[in-house]
Amino acid sequence: MNTEISFIIIDDSELDRFITQKFLERTKQNISIRTFHGAEQALKTICENTDEKDRALTVILLDLQMPVMSGFKFVEEFEKIPVEIQQKYVIIILTVLSSSNDPLETNRILTFKTVKSIVEKPLTHEKLASLLKHVTLARNKLKN
Amino acid sequence: MPEKIKILYVDDEPENLVGFKASLRLDYQILTALNIPDAMQMLDDHPETRIVFCDQRMPGKTGVDFFEEIRVTHPLPVRIMLTAYTDVEAIIDAINKGNIFRYVKKPWIEAEMIWAIEEANKFYMANSMLAEKNDELQKAYNELNKFAYSVSHDIRGPLTGILGAINLAREIDDIAEMKEMLFLMEKSVKKLNTYVLSMHDYYSMQRGELKITEIDFTSLIDELKAIYAVNSTINNVKFNVTVKQDEAFLCDKAPLRLIINNLLSNAFKYQDPKSANKSVDVRIEVSDGKAIISITDTGIGILESHLGEIFHLFFRSNSSEVGSGFGLYNVNSALLKLNGQIEVDSVLNQGTTFKVTIPSI
Repeated sequence: MNTEISFIIIDDSELDRFITQKFLERTKQNISIRTFHGAEQALKTICENTDEKDRALTVILLDLQMPVMSGFKFVEEFEKIPVEIQQKYVIIILTVLSSSNDPLETNRILTFKTVKSIVEKPLTHEKLASLLKHVTLARNKLKN
Repeated sequence: MPEKIKILYVDDEPENLVGFKASLRLDYQILTALNIPDAMQMLDDHPETRIVFCDQRMPGKTGVDFFEEIRVTHPLPVRIMLTAYTDVEAIIDAINKGNIFRYVKKPWIEAEMIWAIEEANKFYMANSMLAEKNDELQKAYNELNKFAYSVSHDIRGPLTGILGAINLAREIDDIAEMKEMLFLMEKSVKKLNTYVLSMHDYYSMQRGELKITEIDFTSLIDELKAIYAVNSTINNVKFNVTVKQDEAFLCDKAPLRLIINNLLSNAFKYQDPKSANKSVDVRIEVSDGKAIISITDTGIGILESHLGEIFHLFFRSNSSEVGSGFGLYNVNSALLKLNGQIEVDSVLNQGTTFKVTIPSI
């Protein structure tokens, strides 16, 4: 099975975008990657590209702490766009986690229905592998 | 004159109330009640009541019952029991259940009563001051909590990035790719370094006294010029400085330097790399006992809706990762120290001017 999976990386850190992108490229799967340093540009692109005929799944790898538009705000806005568009995407949080005293309640992000899982930075080969397994499952679900 | 201390006296014998009021009303504001329900009403109507006297032997409820009740409903007033000499049981109860401050035996003498009131008032003041301090501390503690969280998060950001890069490095064979990554790693380390320096600025601006010296703006700006000369050449940003100082200017150099340095740093940092005409203009004019410093750039500008927030701690107006959220906050803290003011004027995609006015001390 060689269906394309496409990825959108949203992260304000240039280094982190680079790392995630390179890790993805190394999985040798047939994938396309787009990167955004700000969530608002990503959201705009998602809203504009509504005429994609294919039913390929796009995975959004989303950082939480970003200036201007945070990951939280992005998800909130994302859930307001038409459901047909939403269904083409899976959101996976890729962020720095703090164990205690988290005033931003990072775990709250998991209460959003479009958010599938959360991966703690730094990204490793193993984390990416399990993430991709997750995505493949979601994609198969979408196809059936 | 401070307002008189409010005292509530509860007794079922009206003549006792009258006697109490007669001897003490000049120095204190006396409220009286003949029964427990009236007394409760009084406390509701006068929450600022500091001391409550109550006779133990009351119809219906006893003084102990009353104290036990208001200990929960009106915990602030200090409770004093009035009782006849032999009521030992009642006194023990009042202490254990009513948690009274002290008791005064009946019939009371004025000097003793006044002493009890003064002591009770001191106790009340100490308690309320403690509560106030506690509130302040709690607030400061919450702030510190938030601060520590933000700082640890902001430091861990670049660190986990570098850790991720090391993980990835194990899989990279291509030298060019490796070099690209090293360049990005270097940027992260520099960012971390700047962040820690700004944190130090933050700390030094929050405390310490002013060290006043005579300021020569020309030499101050020359030091800074040397720092930004490289940036100016590499990024092709014209750097123009004019200083007009005909009179002495007294100020603390450290916060002054911090202000100019941060504003300059921003002016260079937020240039539009695609623009052909890039410049940073600094004008300093000292006259009539004040210095006016204008720093104008041709950079990306600030969104109008963000202008109100740019001086807030950890606020970042731009999604590129160059800012720490400390810079302008520190500028503002430094200005507070120097009694100065700042104005900002910005047009998106055209540039920003910060105008700082600082009085000579």
